Amino acid sequence: MKNRLKVLRAERDWTQAELAENLAVSRQTINAIEKGKFDPSLPLAFKVSRLFSMPIEDIFEEEAVD
Amino acid sequence: MSKVLDAILCKGLPARDIKNANRVNLLALLWAGTLAVTAFSKEYTWHNTMLFISIIFTLHTAIGIFMVLSFRKFLKELDDLERKIQLDALALSVGITIISFSSSSILSMVGIIEKLDQSSLIMLMAITYMIGIVAGRIKYR
Repeated sequence: MKNRLKVLRAERDWTQAELAENLAVSRQTINAIEKGKFDPSLPLAFKVSRLFSMPIEDIFEEEAVD
Repeated sequence: MSKVLDAILCKGLPARDIKNANRVNLLALLWAGTLAVTAFSKEYTWHNTMLFISIIFTLHTAIGIFMVLSFRKFLKELDDLERKIQLDALALSVGITIISFSSSSILSMVGIIEKLDQSSLIMLMAITYMIGIVAGRIKYR
């Protein structure tokens, strides 16, 4: 799954650690999500959506399936 | 090297997860302690008394149940990524243990090796679980 987390975080001038603190997760989790190594759970995706005040589908995008 | 050390020391986990993990670790130590007390008590005359057996059995079972419940709480409240790492490590641990024991049972049936005991089972599970956690933390760091 692709996501715009890094861009949204940069727009707000937040570090990975600050975003992690806001979402009550580890910095490693934010790093892994930004790098596309790990897809967040639905509750965490909703938390991200609430934090950025944006719909989930504007932050996370399913990669095309053939 | 620092990557491996950070992975072992669970650096960066939220305080809530470290607190839950410490509770599970403390209960695991107590649980293992009751087993150790039973093993060391063999040298004493009260080893076979009903009172001692009842106390140690109740303690061991009760601590074991609390340990499982604490581990469940730990997993439930755990950081998203760390939960995946823990579940992957559990899958690796259970998988390797089952395969190793079924394969070794074939060798023991034909007399090539001795039958493995329960302590080997627990040891193998613990070691593969720890390897799985450290490998997962390094992978996603």
